[in-house]
Amino acid sequence: MISLAGRDILHAWGKFVFTGLGLGLLIGVTLVMAGVYRGMVDDGKALLDNSGADLWVVQKDTLGPYAESSSLNDDVYRSIRAMPGVARAANATYLTMQVRKGDGDVRAMVVGIAPGQPASTPGWPPYLVAGRQITRAHYEAVADVASGFALGDRIAIRRNHYTVVGLTRRMVSSSGDPMIFIPLKDAQEAQFLKDNDAIRQSRRRTAANPVFSRPGQPGVLEAVIASQSTNAFVNTVLVRLEPGHAADAVADAIRRWKRLTVYTRPQMEDILVGKLIATSARQIGMFLAILAVVSAAIVAFIIYSLTMDKIREIAVLKLIGTRNRTIAAMIMQQALALGVLGFVVGKISASLAAPYFPKYVLLVPLDSIAGFFAVLVICVLASLVAIRIALAVDPAEAIGG
Amino acid sequence: MKKLPLRNRSLALLAVILPLLALFIYVALRSGPLAPVAVTLETVEAQELRPALFGIGTVEARHTYRIGPTVAGRLARLDVHVGDLVTAGQVLGEMDPVDLDDRLRAQESVLRGAQASLREAEARRTHARTQARRYEQLFAVRSSSEELMTTKRQELEIAEAGLASAREALEGARSSLEGLVAQRTDLRLIAPADGLVAARDVEPGTSLAGGSTVLEIIDPASLWIDVRFDQIGAAGLAAGLPARIVLRSRDGRSSSGRVLRVEPKADAVTEELLAKVRFDAIPQPLPPVGELAEVTIELPPLPEAPVISNAALRREGDRIGVWQVVDGGLRFTPLVLGASDLEGRMQVREGLEAGDRVVAYSEKPLGAKTRIQVVDRIPGGPR
Amino acid sequence: MSARGIRIEGLRKRYGEGDTAVEALKGVDMQVAPGEVVGLIGPSGSGKSTLLKCLGAVIDPTAGRMTLGDEVIYDDGWKVRDLRALRRDKIGFVFQAPYLIPFLDVTDNVALLPMLAGLGNAEARATALALLTALDVQHRARAMPSQLSGGEQQRVAIARGLVNRPPVILADEPTAPLDSTRAMAVIRILNDMARKYQTAIIVVTHDEKIIPTFRRIFHIRDGVTTEEPGEGRGFD
Repeated sequence: MISLAGRDILHAWGKFVFTGLGLGLLIGVTLVMAGVYRGMVDDGKALLDNSGADLWVVQKDTLGPYAESSSLNDDVYRSIRAMPGVARAANATYLTMQVRKGDGDVRAMVVGIAPGQPASTPGWPPYLVAGRQITRAHYEAVADVASGFALGDRIAIRRNHYTVVGLTRRMVSSSGDPMIFIPLKDAQEAQFLKDNDAIRQSRRRTAANPVFSRPGQPGVLEAVIASQSTNAFVNTVLVRLEPGHAADAVADAIRRWKRLTVYTRPQMEDILVGKLIATSARQIGMFLAILAVVSAAIVAFIIYSLTMDKIREIAVLKLIGTRNRTIAAMIMQQALALGVLGFVVGKISASLAAPYFPKYVLLVPLDSIAGFFAVLVICVLASLVAIRIALAVDPAEAIGG
Repeated sequence: MKKLPLRNRSLALLAVILPLLALFIYVALRSGPLAPVAVTLETVEAQELRPALFGIGTVEARHTYRIGPTVAGRLARLDVHVGDLVTAGQVLGEMDPVDLDDRLRAQESVLRGAQASLREAEARRTHARTQARRYEQLFAVRSSSEELMTTKRQELEIAEAGLASAREALEGARSSLEGLVAQRTDLRLIAPADGLVAARDVEPGTSLAGGSTVLEIIDPASLWIDVRFDQIGAAGLAAGLPARIVLRSRDGRSSSGRVLRVEPKADAVTEELLAKVRFDAIPQPLPPVGELAEVTIELPPLPEAPVISNAALRREGDRIGVWQVVDGGLRFTPLVLGASDLEGRMQVREGLEAGDRVVAYSEKPLGAKTRIQVVDRIPGGPR
Repeated sequence: MSARGIRIEGLRKRYGEGDTAVEALKGVDMQVAPGEVVGLIGPSGSGKSTLLKCLGAVIDPTAGRMTLGDEVIYDDGWKVRDLRALRRDKIGFVFQAPYLIPFLDVTDNVALLPMLAGLGNAEARATALALLTALDVQHRARAMPSQLSGGEQQRVAIARGLVNRPPVILADEPTAPLDSTRAMAVIRILNDMARKYQTAIIVVTHDEKIIPTFRRIFHIRDGVTTEEPGEGRGFD
């Protein structure tokens, strides 16, 4: 027996291929959509991975440092470092702000990293794609390539200029903004000393306060201004555990004795994935559902119109004794072939297009496999309408009159 | 449309489908999580390392003179402005003397009165002495009574006491005058040393409390930099080391200097060491006091040892090391590290030999089972 | 009576029920012997198509009896269960338009029927090719239907009707789109094939050119057939 479906496809291959390409682009969009969601989840996980921390110590009763602002004294880390089970504790600051270079600016998450040895100090970028890690305690930066900065660029963060000495990759905030790593002290200053005008205004306000500038007490004003111009706060203390210590036990100890809020990795993931991107995830889920319905409708329509074009041939086939099974198989095979072609085109287009999206698009192979079967199911369902029509064709129609 | 023969159409379809399938397989294996991770390698080289320290500080003057009145008063005049060079002893301004000059004149009168009294007392004593001597001679020849002679002798003693009293009164009046003169002199603001007027805080006519500052004079030759170094990595900081100083206003141009001293007290709050760095030659024009400066201290070079870039350093669990490429696969080599320089090179004490190949850059975190693809440059990286 | 051929007795077909019922066939009697080509002519609405559809087992007659060869296929009800297999194996169709399957080449168009009947691909194609050779279109065996001329298409359609060696072939206006030369050629082929394969062929037509060629002609009018002899010109 020859394959009627195959012969029909061969006969109308141009139409079939172009329909498949069109469907493929739609499936590609669907895959990219799923990839956007995976990318968002991965952004959150990358943020946690890249911090190199096992525990996040933040201001009491906050969801910091990523989902909520948190502020700790910068010497808290010393007492945490002394807790049993803590291998390393390092201050870190996170602040999303505009980073200027020349005339343009880039929205970035500026990360203040504590001085120390690269790789061993939590908070440092764990790998680079070019350049080197920060070696000076001031005015050097490592930027994510997504920021568009290049080695040697001079970038301005608040009042100071930084030289980009290294580039890294996939270091993003949970909302996908590229990270810029700068030394902690600079970052603390950047969080506090907004710009020269603001500093001047603040000084003037202080000077205008009679309490601070009493006659006969020279020096009080200077002291007050000096104490106002320093920032002894950080957003979080990143803690790495000694091997063999349970994260929960150490976290409990810090909570109990230091009266701070501590998050473990699973809790942090829950915050980032469960709370920060929950709405976006539902949004994307909605889109996925709509795209699935649209894809199904398109496949159904295409198969329907392909079948309607052949209604006379189907009548002839029935008249000359072709079984319903054979006719149904022909239509379903065509639908499946269209689905496979569409999936292949979709997967290719999604993979090729993914790197050009401004935010990270992660195409998970398992998603693709699930998508493949979903496409097949959709094609089978969509072909049912056409099969129903084909089976209802009266063979008598082939005989005129 | 002319239909192609079946065979040709099968070929045409294959011509579309086959490249599509090939592309599909390529895309499935070469992108996304299944793709090999692009890495670049670097060769460990034995090099001598010139470690350096980097700190920032502000330009300060070693000697700052704050000049002001010692007692409360009103500023009468101020002769110098910010930026003027002054010499030691130069009068810079004066406080309002109020009634001091009048009191000075009154005291001069008192002094002159005292001088007159002294002269009067001297005259009395001279007379009393002459009388006493005469009556002694007369008594010796018994031409006068002893009683008269005793009276004259007593008059002489009284006259001498009067003279002493007048002398003391004169001395007191003179001291008072000198005190007033000194006070008058103190109203003048005088430069204690050669220097540069750095600040002029008040203007003539202002009433001032005793001890407040009117002018600040700095000694330009004594400009130094108050530098702060992070305690981490500040080992080796010592007096006498050469330093490169870049002033914020003169980005790109550096001056040379030398560590004058490392402060015995560190800053416990900011976890920094403090040091003073002196210019070899004070840059001209003079940098303003308070200007930010970046200071790089060069430490003595270290002997040759295997050196890696700090970008190659990775963490695996609680070990620090590098990924070494062995037989096309990856192996994590823990390292014991030595000193590093500001260019990001680090000495390896244990773990690597010169000539070993290690992963410098990678586009993703690596693991022992990661498939890698060695490239010259990480794609999508620096343009 | 011969063992093959077709016989129809008292065939009736009524559309609808009750008052609105229309009796399209009112007791048709027909008999066609193997190797015989007969004409069936009648005006529009005479019941011609209905008769053809009943014969082709695509609609159900109301009453009567049909015998195909020596098998009674209808006697006030179908006597065979699988009408589709009956159409496939026992009845050949040739239509006004050739109705070839456009996405199959000439050989496969013909070979499809034996394939559907369960014959192997190679065997079915060999059978088809033999028939195409007999009909003198073997040179177009690999062509697609759309590349054939009208006469060639009709010959391929005849080959398809013949391929399973049915006892009867129903030809519905087979010459309508053809000029007289080609029409005569088709009739000649039908006659040749009828003789060669001992098939009874019923040609429904109102093509004046070919009516004189039949030896027997059935006129159908108001659901009743009358038989009259034809001229039987041109074929001996």
